[in-house]
Amino acid sequence: MSGLARLALVGLVREPLRTAVRVLVLAAAVALIAAMILFVGHSLRTMTASATRSVPLDWQGPVGSHSAAVRVASAVARQPGVQQASPVATAPFASAVHEAAVGTIRSGAGAVLAVPDGYLDHIRTFRFLRGSLRRGQIVFDQQLAATLQVQPGDRVSLASRAGASPQRFRVSGIVLVTAPDVLFQPLNPLLGPAPAQPPADIAILPLSTFARTLAPALPAIASTAPGGAAVPEVQRGTRWQVQAQVDPSALRGSPAHALRRADQIRNAVERTLPGQVVFVDNLADSLNSAAGDALYAETLYIMLAVPGALVALALAYLAALGTAERDRRDLVLLRARGATRRGLLSLATVESAALGLLAGAIGTGVALPALRLAGAGAATGAVRMLVTLAVCVALAVGGAAAARIAAGASVFRETVSEGRRSVRRQGRPLWQRLYLDLLCLGGSGLVYWLTVRTGFSAVINPDSNPTLSLSVYMFFAPALLWLGAALLLVRLRGSFVAWLAARGGGGRASTWRGFLLASAGRRGAAINRGLLVAGLLLAFGVDLGLFTATYDQQARVDAQLTLGADVVVTAPPGAIRRHSLDQSVARLPGVAGTTGLDHSYAYVGPDLQDIFGIDARTLTRGTGLRDSYFLGGSAAQILARLRSTPGGVLVSRETISDYSLRLGDLLKLRTLDRANGRFKIVPFHVVGVVQEFPAAPRDSFMVANLSYLERATHEPGPNVLFVKATGDPVAVARDVAARTRAQGTLVKDIRRQTAQTVSSITTVDLGGISRIEESFALALAAAAMALFVAVTLAERRQEFATMAALGARLREIAAFLWTETALVLGAALALAALLGWLLAEMLVAMLQHVFDPPPDHLAAPWLFLGGLAAAAVAGAAIAALVGAAGIRRLPLGAILREE
Amino acid sequence: MKEVLAECRGAKVAYGDGESAVHALDGVDLTIAAQDSLALLGRSGSGKTTLLHVLGGLVEPTAGAVEWRGEPLATLDAAARAALRACGIGYVFQGGNLLTHFTAFENVAFATRVSSGDADPVLAAVALLELVGLTEKLDHLPAELSGGEAQRVAIARALAQRPQLLLCDEPTGHLDSDTGERVLDLLQAVQREFGFALVVATHDADVAARMERSVELHDGRVLSAQATV
Repeated sequence: MSGLARLALVGLVREPLRTAVRVLVLAAAVALIAAMILFVGHSLRTMTASATRSVPLDWQGPVGSHSAAVRVASAVARQPGVQQASPVATAPFASAVHEAAVGTIRSGAGAVLAVPDGYLDHIRTFRFLRGSLRRGQIVFDQQLAATLQVQPGDRVSLASRAGASPQRFRVSGIVLVTAPDVLFQPLNPLLGPAPAQPPADIAILPLSTFARTLAPALPAIASTAPGGAAVPEVQRGTRWQVQAQVDPSALRGSPAHALRRADQIRNAVERTLPGQVVFVDNLADSLNSAAGDALYAETLYIMLAVPGALVALALAYLAALGTAERDRRDLVLLRARGATRRGLLSLATVESAALGLLAGAIGTGVALPALRLAGAGAATGAVRMLVTLAVCVALAVGGAAAARIAAGASVFRETVSEGRRSVRRQGRPLWQRLYLDLLCLGGSGLVYWLTVRTGFSAVINPDSNPTLSLSVYMFFAPALLWLGAALLLVRLRGSFVAWLAARGGGGRASTWRGFLLASAGRRGAAINRGLLVAGLLLAFGVDLGLFTATYDQQARVDAQLTLGADVVVTAPPGAIRRHSLDQSVARLPGVAGTTGLDHSYAYVGPDLQDIFGIDARTLTRGTGLRDSYFLGGSAAQILARLRSTPGGVLVSRETISDYSLRLGDLLKLRTLDRANGRFKIVPFHVVGVVQEFPAAPRDSFMVANLSYLERATHEPGPNVLFVKATGDPVAVARDVAARTRAQGTLVKDIRRQTAQTVSSITTVDLGGISRIEESFALALAAAAMALFVAVTLAERRQEFATMAALGARLREIAAFLWTETALVLGAALALAALLGWLLAEMLVAMLQHVFDPPPDHLAAPWLFLGGLAAAAVAGAAIAALVGAAGIRRLPLGAILREE
Repeated sequence: MKEVLAECRGAKVAYGDGESAVHALDGVDLTIAAQDSLALLGRSGSGKTTLLHVLGGLVEPTAGAVEWRGEPLATLDAAARAALRACGIGYVFQGGNLLTHFTAFENVAFATRVSSGDADPVLAAVALLELVGLTEKLDHLPAELSGGEAQRVAIARALAQRPQLLLCDEPTGHLDSDTGERVLDLLQAVQREFGFALVVATHDADVAARMERSVELHDGRVLSAQATV
């Protein structure tokens, strides 16, 4: 080790306090980056898991026959990475007939799903509400079971096509088919997944039973024929297929990585079975969408955290400035004694490397518990840990070196004599002459304007299978605003604050107030340094707080709109009324109220739309409504109008437009009459326009009076129960599920829904990284103010010592410290409020289309914002108090000797 | 007989402990009477500046006693010593040590305000700067003044405290000889006018020769003390 390197390390050891401050400041900055890197890794894995979990059925490969399906499924199941492969068939049926006690009940056409034993081991396309699948027997989806009024044990007849002799089956169970759109989609491997309008009536048979009974009467669809969806009148024959599920343990890492791996597995399977099967890959579709979302999420995290981390690194510069003058003298002495410029740079490099190594390790160490606190630290991989450590060390070394060299720049100049002078840069730097700050601000405004005005933002597919189409260019707006604001502050050099102080102090100072303000007014650059770091850090905190609060608020609103209420109970037809579930659930602890509604379908012309039969009188007991859900009146007004018109219906704006409807117009809907299984025409009158409704899909739907709808369709009461919770929705949902399990209900709660709503972006709980970043923002804001005070004290120690030598009292000297601190604090808070608000507005504007409905204003987390301001005030106050006490202990004799 | 203002008896100042301790002052005895004119002569590191700081109460001796008008400084707390400096002991430092963010006027006004409390310092400050010939430079910051001008502001600032004892540390150390001469002339002129005791620390025998007495220091000890006039 060279003498200079040894000198560097000895210097660090000899000044433990100064070294500790520099290490801690760097560690805090890189800890934020480390936490972000680790959290992003965790988030990406979460997105992969979520995307994988959300696919009920990974692969569907059409084959030409029953035997081919069995043979290929067996071969696929043996392939590495494949968890399950099953031979499956879908086919149409013409009608189902139940000879009930009330008479013969006949359903319309529907579809059959034929599956082998063990099908449900890993494939989640339906679940049993009652009974099970038995050879020779049949299972009905709950809707068809309700139509036919069948119970397990009843016997029904099923005709595969018109004119064919019906087959009689014993009913062995009732199921809820949860993925009919995927199960019955047309299978064209070249086109990929195309979830389609599912059949209304679904029956399920064991594969062997189907092959023996119904299949012989139907032609097999060739494996190369794409076929149509298995809705009535579309699919004419049996679609034999192999359905397979990929082993989730084979899909690790980010969605992009998992997508590559899933593709490799599928390619390997298809290559092993050439000409036998090609799959429609639902999994790849989902992972592909998640990979796009992951890019967005990463960009979002970067936009949220990187500015804070960069400003935090600037704290290292501020910390180095505290001893810059002393460092400068030491370095000048070394140069005068023969040290070369390269030698001094080596000295700075060794010192920075030592500081950076320590700070990087501490930063990574701090990030881990922070991550655990955010609930995301359990599964941090070793590779990512090492990468994080390397990045943190590199950043810390770089930050330390930059701070060291920037703070002592004059000494690193060419000649010793120049180094002895504290040379001020002549002329403005290039970026100032090019007005880069103003260009950045202008560019930011332009991109923001484009974002707001032209929809240049995240776009969400308004179908039930949401995906995001994103442009990372929109992130230029906040990025340029950060850069422009920082550069503008550097350009202004605190001139505004200085001007304010000078104005406050008046002309020639001769009073204490005048001295304080005159002094502060001439220290614009120093004040600006504090303002730059503290203000930008506080702005980071404000931006983060506002954005996170708005994001959380919209995620909750979105989830509530998607789910319908805090807790939603889906029950088999008739169960709610027969068992008075609305009343029994309303009596459970934590339940504020309930309302029952009927969710079914009706044709408007040729369009099948969701229709909700509601009790307008009790609806708001079970869920919340916003005025923005309706057009032409408030929620209360529209509901009152619906209640006063028994045959009234609320329709979507699209329906109004597509069918040239006006309020009061007659609208004839075709609804399914449960009494005979046939569609019938029911007259309604349009009484309002609805654009959002709890539990309604994003596209067209209708809302009518429950009692009127029931009379027309002979529905046995509501099939959905909205529950408004006063307590924890998860606990309430648990209680509700326990109370209603016997009636075959499905219970969902808002908390779980929030994690599934909209896209995989919101699947990742932004709260985790927000909590980490908010904690860092609080700590860094306090540290920034404390450092500013410390640096001010260090910079002005000779002035303060001179004042003391002149006989000024301690409190008179300390007032200079307090004045600057107050000025910086006030200006930083004002800057943070303005810049933070602007940045949050920009980020939220980009998410306009991610949330439905879009946020109409920012949500302010007053507690956090107050805490942020309090942290800055506390950091400043504590540091100023300590600083004031430090003035008393200043070694006046030694300081006054300094030149 | 003149009133004794300050007196050192066996004053010692040491930095560090044990064998590595550096003795900046090592048993200095010195008496300064009203209107004295005294030079502390010695090379760099001889203890001149430390002795000035001890006399002004900026540095506490590690041993020995320092008295101001018969009262031991060791009995005064920091506030009392500050009050003593504000109204009795003025300083002129080697580089002037002007308050860098104050104009020439404000430097003097600040000292006046510190010294006289609530009294309006404007007239006094202007008068003092006029006295040292800097009427034109009232609103100049220290960085805008020459070395000689800065020292004259420092003298005006010290006078603003109406000192009984003015301690000057190498007041001409950073100045060329002509400017240094003018500064010394000014110091002696104002001493005559205001009647304070003047102690000048210098390594320059010619400067010392302008004082009534000269005390030579070497390695923190008094080597010799003699009248020069």
